[in-house]
Amino acid sequence: MEVTRRQFFKVCAAGMGGSSVALMGFSPTNALAEVRTYKLARATETRNTCPYCSVSCGILMYSLGDKAKNAKAEIIHIEGDPDHPINRGTLCPKGAALLDFVHSPNRLRHPEVREAGSNEWKRISWDEAFSRVAKLMKEDRDANFIARNADGATVNRWLSTGFLAASASSNESGYITHKFVRSLGAVAFDNQARV
Amino acid sequence: MSGMAEAQTIPITPAGQPPQVIAPDATHIFAARARRFEQLAVGHSLSDWLRFLAVVSRVQQEALQAFPAIALPDAAELARAREHRMPPLPAQSWPRDPAWHEALRQIAAAVRPAAPSAARAALDRLVELPPDRLEELAQRVLQTELYGIDAALLPYVAAALQVLWTAGASRLGANGIAMLDVPGVCPCCGFLPVASVVKRAGEVEGLRYLHCALCNTEWNLVRVKCAACDANEGIAYQQLQNHADAAATTDRAAVRAETCDSCNSYLKIIYPDKGAIDPVADDLATLALDILVDELGYARAGPNLLLVPGG
Repeated sequence: MEVTRRQFFKVCAAGMGGSSVALMGFSPTNALAEVRTYKLARATETRNTCPYCSVSCGILMYSLGDKAKNAKAEIIHIEGDPDHPINRGTLCPKGAALLDFVHSPNRLRHPEVREAGSNEWKRISWDEAFSRVAKLMKEDRDANFIARNADGATVNRWLSTGFLAASASSNESGYITHKFVRSLGAVAFDNQARV
Repeated sequence: MSGMAEAQTIPITPAGQPPQVIAPDATHIFAARARRFEQLAVGHSLSDWLRFLAVVSRVQQEALQAFPAIALPDAAELARAREHRMPPLPAQSWPRDPAWHEALRQIAAAVRPAAPSAARAALDRLVELPPDRLEELAQRVLQTELYGIDAALLPYVAAALQVLWTAGASRLGANGIAMLDVPGVCPCCGFLPVASVVKRAGEVEGLRYLHCALCNTEWNLVRVKCAACDANEGIAYQQLQNHADAAATTDRAAVRAETCDSCNSYLKIIYPDKGAIDPVADDLATLALDILVDELGYARAGPNLLLVPGG
């Protein structure tokens, strides 16, 4: 006997002739022929957190796709995670419609900008977006940063800009968000879309 | 104002904790299995075998109900098992009550008329075996050495041992069985799971329970997790699809193989979306899934004791 930490059991086509099916006097021939009329379809279930609000319900996302063929996985169903201690498998109407959100043709897929005075959204690159955000933040901070209050006490506040992060953030990204925003002196930041 | 405040008070009740362990119900566990075997046998390529196993399961139910009141571990032993997080009726070391020999003879005698001639000779020999030989066969089943000489006798021996352990587990009840530190083995007997089932109703809806191949105890394991190695990554679900169907099916099959790329093993997971299921019966009715998943290189993580797989 092969001794391993855990024994595995092999149920295979070659074994069927010596299996208890055959030993008990039943013929596995038809069953073995039938096997070849089937192929396998592969699916995955992935845990995630609902992106909408700070309740942070657990969700299970079902997708189809054969990784061997390197095909693009397609999400076919989303439901509440029954194991999640907060929502125990339930979702609110917004969360229950997540699949439409995932497949929405109106999803934002790349950075866009609407210039002041314009009513058109214009696609820009990520580099352009980062530079633009950084430049605008610096301009605003230079103009409105409050180092000392009226009594002369050091306060280092930046009240004219706020920051919106994501409700599905992990502890780690929450920590980095906090460090980044607070080190600039910004007071207003939030981690959820208020629903 | 105060009246309004009172009216607005919503009492907070703690959310129900779903049970970690579900003990087998001795009044119908094997009877339900027998019905499921019969249901699955209709039009099946192994219908004769499945019908025969329905007979075995039905006799298991009769043997279980006629089973004498066996000795369970006393309060001190149960407390010790709980303290050290050990199963109270361990498959390898719980002293087996010889009452299971009688259950075995009962099973052998009752299934004989339904058995093919090849199986009858084995059954006749089985009932003649002395107790020490029966204990040797039991030891092989409990060590999951499901091969070798007299392999054809092992499913009957296993069926009788299932009666013994199910009697013990159902008498201990869910309150007498505590979860272990290791999630992959049965908290009652330490044996391996035959499959897992995603429950469809009540407070356990959507939760997954592993089903013990020996004592029929069920215990909770979070979904999308390997029952053999605890991995969360690299879990996939394989199901049978007809070659003729070109497009990938979006319907979840009632039985899928939960494969793990960390330890290259799989265990079937069963969804009772379309009515009653039984993990033991539904497992044996989907051997095609085992064969194809084996060909992908995954090994099965838990046995079905009514099958000696061969090979």
